[in-house]
Amino acid sequence: MSTAASAAPTSDRLTFTRDELLSSGAYEAPLIAGEVRCHGGFEADGTYRSPRTLHRAPAISAWQARLAREDARLIEIPRALMPPQYPNVAQSTLLLRHGVRDPIVRTLTIISIVEGFGAIIRDVKVPDLGAQVVEPVEGTALAHLAQGLFEAHARDESGFKDEGGHKQMWEAARDLALEKPKIPGDVLMRMMGRNAGRGRRPERPFPQLDETLERMLALMAQVLVVEVFAEGTFDWGVELLSNPEVSAAPEAAGNMVRFVRADEKPHVEYLRTALSELRARTLRTVDGKTIAGREVVDGLLHRVLRQITRNRPREQREDIRESLIEAMQSAANPRALLEEFDALESSWTPPERTGFEPERTAAA
Amino acid sequence: MHPLTRLHRTTIVGRLAARLYLLYKLPALRRRLTGRPKATDAELAPLHAKAADAILATALRMRGVIIKMCQAIATRADVFPPEFVERLKACHDAVPPKPFDVVRAAVEGELGKPIGAVFAEFAETPIASASLAQVHAARLHDGTEVAVKVQYPDIEDIVRTDLRNMERACRIYERVDPQPLELLPLLRELTTHVGFELDMEREARSADRVRAMFAKDRGVIVPRIHHELSTKRLLVMERVRGIKITEKALIEAAGLDPADVVQDLMRVYVQMVLAAGFFQADPHPGNLMVTPDKKLILLDFGLSKELPEGYGLGLFELMFSMMTLNESAMVRAFQELGFETKTGDTSTFLLIARRMLSRSESGAFEGEFTEEMTDELFEAIREDPVVKVPSDFVLVGRVFSFLSGIAHTLGSRANVLAAMGAGPPG
Repeated sequence: MSTAASAAPTSDRLTFTRDELLSSGAYEAPLIAGEVRCHGGFEADGTYRSPRTLHRAPAISAWQARLAREDARLIEIPRALMPPQYPNVAQSTLLLRHGVRDPIVRTLTIISIVEGFGAIIRDVKVPDLGAQVVEPVEGTALAHLAQGLFEAHARDESGFKDEGGHKQMWEAARDLALEKPKIPGDVLMRMMGRNAGRGRRPERPFPQLDETLERMLALMAQVLVVEVFAEGTFDWGVELLSNPEVSAAPEAAGNMVRFVRADEKPHVEYLRTALSELRARTLRTVDGKTIAGREVVDGLLHRVLRQITRNRPREQREDIRESLIEAMQSAANPRALLEEFDALESSWTPPERTGFEPERTAAA
Repeated sequence: MHPLTRLHRTTIVGRLAARLYLLYKLPALRRRLTGRPKATDAELAPLHAKAADAILATALRMRGVIIKMCQAIATRADVFPPEFVERLKACHDAVPPKPFDVVRAAVEGELGKPIGAVFAEFAETPIASASLAQVHAARLHDGTEVAVKVQYPDIEDIVRTDLRNMERACRIYERVDPQPLELLPLLRELTTHVGFELDMEREARSADRVRAMFAKDRGVIVPRIHHELSTKRLLVMERVRGIKITEKALIEAAGLDPADVVQDLMRVYVQMVLAAGFFQADPHPGNLMVTPDKKLILLDFGLSKELPEGYGLGLFELMFSMMTLNESAMVRAFQELGFETKTGDTSTFLLIARRMLSRSESGAFEGEFTEEMTDELFEAIREDPVVKVPSDFVLVGRVFSFLSGIAHTLGSRANVLAAMGAGPPG
């Protein structure tokens, strides 16, 4: 099954309406995931086309082309920084082969919920960028964040009205592959274990910036990194759920994850485009001075990357390990299974540098 | 309980039931005889107010389970008209304490020894008094400060008598009224909940369970129980001090940000209700405190509730479908939570959801079950009695509505989804 982020041609247009950025155009056939009508659909030749990309995809291409014309670098998050999935494909396959399904069902369910939570991006407060950025922002992705880009992202993740989104598509992939498994009762407890932080305001890395702007940029940096690193989850999902040895519907379940992966591409692209645009500009501070956008964007990305690469693999392992061992008790020989499982673990050491290390520039 | 007391309570309940019946039926009969149409809600409002006043007066006089019944009515806007709900809210705060002699006798009866043999000090004035028990500050001989919750003497007998009387009255009412309110299910629910609250050993176990749930979380305090001094009718627990959670000025004076307090409160409740499926179901401000070092204190586990497995996920799915305006998912979630329609027509669920969402500023669920949304839900259900509402849902709705009220008092929002780690960002 082939996928396409958009069938629409590229153009030089740089300004789009909100309705345009949210429009999908017509499909030959809808995407039905399980029994749920989902977003996106198929062209006459069977190619899957992602939702809301009729204008969004060419728009992003046009904004990226403009960046290139301005000699501004498009941010690239190195895949080498991406921590491995735990449990990895070999470990997950081993578990399913031994009938230990709960950890995989739990993981797939948590992925679906976290995808759905992506909808919160529509609640991000977007400041008046015309006032916050020294250079003009007209005709950029930045200028369209509140004009459809965040909303399209939110709808892709959680679904909208009677069209399911990535939440429902991951659920469908799980239910197809594992034949509507019973969902472990502790899913939300496991998910909340670490995510629900105590009520403390995070430290502000750039207190000289308008707080609304700083929060928006921090979230965009975080979402960009998460979206890029989700590639590892897609690899895992496609490989595992397409394996006929452990999946009841290898083609349909694997395709569902491929469709989600295709839908996520515009997210990565608009986020890195907007952050790159800002990186090439200058920001006003609350005390009337200015700061290079590069310093802010790189600083935020460095913080996120350092946090995720240093802590995430250990945290993810700690969160899952206990329930994994508990679930293995249902196997014929839990001890032997655990030994075999551990032997399959991917070794990974986070790279020393993120590539976004701060290089202080003097405030004007 | 003395047989004459029992007879006296039965007589009072019987008289109240007869008075209420006549209060509604005589005007209805007059209308029928004079050929006038049935009274509208507006025309019935003064009668509801009069009836609620009569019930409240009787409850405060008789105490016991009648007070609990009033408290239950005050939380069931889905069943009762607003005049009842508003007036009977007074029962939450208006219970006068029992004299100390009565308390002393009850404590000594439970301990099997004089109060002085166990406590070096025992305050005669209670910290709090409620329908079934009251709480006193005390100090053990080793200097440990404790809070002692003691059930009123004879309360179990009184409760049994009152429940039997109320059931009789409800049955008679259902037989004579062609379109009765469904009171018996409510009474059964009340019987279950009062049973929970009368069993202080259960309360102690519930407190232990919630404390264990947050064992790794230094930000949550559940008072320790002195099991060796506690019985089914007496609870001796660690005395904890804090600022009442709705005292915004005191919270700020302690250097705390009320928004952070709300975030912690929501995190704790979401973890109990949605994630663990076991929760303290009575989050009124008297049961929640915060310490100057930003720890949340949970008190009173008498009404703790265990939800069926998977119920939390079902609640989450309902909220999520409301957030995304996904109507087919809303219907699925309502059904999974145990809602039923008599005809099987699911459009009623959508009507209810749309009415709830109509009370939100954006027209979508923004993570918070506000009091307005919960009121609208109950109002919609009351107006359309074809829907069977699961009592677990009512209890959870009430809990989140209480939390929303607290959050608004503190100038914040009780965002359930944010408490799950979903934002909102900034």
